[in-house]
Amino acid sequence: MKPLVSARNLTKKFKEFTAVDGISFEIKEGECFGFLGPNGAGKTTTIKMMHCVSPVTAGELTVDGMAANINNRKIKQMIGVIPQEITLDIDLTAYENLMVFANFFDIPGGEAKKRTAELLSFMELEKKKNSKIDELSTGMKRRLLIARALLNKPSLIIADEPTTGLDPQARHLIWQRLRSLKSQGVTLILTTQYMEEAQQLCDRLVIMHEGRILREGKPAKLVAEEIGNEVMEIRAPAQEDERILKALSGIDCGHERVGDTLYLYCRDGHEIMKKIVELNLPNFLNRPATLEDVFLKLTGRSLGE
Amino acid sequence: MNLSYRIYYVFLRNLISYKRFILPTFIVSLGQPLFYLLTFGIGMGAYVGLFNGRPYLYFLVPGVLVSSVMLSSTFECLYGTFVKMIHERLYDSLIATPVSAEDAIAGDISWGAFRGLISGGLMLLIAILMGILPVSLPNLLLLFLLMIFVGIMFSSLSMIVTSFAPNFDFFNYYTELIITPMLFFSGVFFPLNKFPDWVKIVANFLPLTHAVNISRAVFLGSYSPELLLNFSVLLAVEIVAFYAGIKLMKRRLIK
Repeated sequence: MKPLVSARNLTKKFKEFTAVDGISFEIKEGECFGFLGPNGAGKTTTIKMMHCVSPVTAGELTVDGMAANINNRKIKQMIGVIPQEITLDIDLTAYENLMVFANFFDIPGGEAKKRTAELLSFMELEKKKNSKIDELSTGMKRRLLIARALLNKPSLIIADEPTTGLDPQARHLIWQRLRSLKSQGVTLILTTQYMEEAQQLCDRLVIMHEGRILREGKPAKLVAEEIGNEVMEIRAPAQEDERILKALSGIDCGHERVGDTLYLYCRDGHEIMKKIVELNLPNFLNRPATLEDVFLKLTGRSLGE
Repeated sequence: MNLSYRIYYVFLRNLISYKRFILPTFIVSLGQPLFYLLTFGIGMGAYVGLFNGRPYLYFLVPGVLVSSVMLSSTFECLYGTFVKMIHERLYDSLIATPVSAEDAIAGDISWGAFRGLISGGLMLLIAILMGILPVSLPNLLLLFLLMIFVGIMFSSLSMIVTSFAPNFDFFNYYTELIITPMLFFSGVFFPLNKFPDWVKIVANFLPLTHAVNISRAVFLGSYSPELLLNFSVLLAVEIVAFYAGIKLMKRRLIK
């Protein structure tokens, strides 16, 4: 199948600073594709080039076969963007926000009214129809942003950290809605820093760091390849490391010391569990490996900024 | 220049949001020209007596008319646009739709011109109620066209300033050092012929001087060949400012 979005050696420079450093990827129609990475990894810059609000410095980027370019209104017409920041029109009511936006997409009045009513109901916002934006909670604002992104019936939705700052209820509602859109055949591109979100939604993802793609793949496969099945966290002083690792020699498992914790990444948890119990350590935790472990391993545990 | 009919959608967005501010802006728009007409027109007019064979108000009204367009358009495209760009991030969401950055900025310029037209229109209404009328109905319509033209020019000039502004305080340089002096050195309140030559030369570089000359000629129906020069200057400023305003704002919006 032809990819919906395709990038080859895509590069973005702001003066001397390289925000996106020659990345290549392909996004298939109907999948949910994730961009993961710490702040400043280049995720937002990459998607801004895709939806034609930021010019490409070098390399190739096509959306539905068309070259992405800031003057390409056709690409903008087919994309729904859920921005990271709340960019609702605070001078207008919730209803007016959607109606005015429908205008920008050349949606005729009658159709705009119909879609606005449908979307307010889809995002559970009917009661707030005539509220001003500052009367809405953060969760409601995010939901309205999603409704706004759906006005033009996009075949591609780009969601830039759509659940930042939300409580669990609001977050789960948004995940529900995004999954329901995907089941209707919409292609979804998601950037996030929440690993749970990526695991919940993404079919495939890339992990970005400092403008480059470090890994690409299915979430579960990435975890299995990079980390294994289980993680053992042992809270013990660093002097103990030698004794612990000696006891574990012969077992296939990686280790990493971070602050007060020794992490053991293993294929088989049972074997290691036995040994740890024998060592009689006071404070340890055995848990399944997650995408977060992959993320931290690849992008480093230090603060990038 | 990637301009399209979508300018109108941006204008419409502003019109819808304007509903909520309409009363306060009407009061402000009325207040200022009323203030000039009362202080200068009636207060000073009493001492001036006849002016070129007519009451002083006939001299004053056409000048105040274009100045009030200038002030409203300027403030809209300085503060109004800045708030939409930085605080409300409205442009960010606009340019993610088929509306281009050029459409969005041109839409705001047309909006600034409309705000100028409202101020000028209200001012004209008051003048008419006071019995100060333009010479004929076609001339009244011409005045409206002139107000739109002047509004687009000052909106565009303000866009250039806004494209560089790091914060609100920056606008003070423009309003205090350019707009306010322009108000007094463009022959709005008194003729410039008693000033030394250098003032007259400077005045010729002020777009408002040319706008005031045209406004006065149209209001009184007394034309001279000099008007062609006035109009040429305004047209040149308008085209350059419109183009530069859009280009510079685009540079700020799209990175």
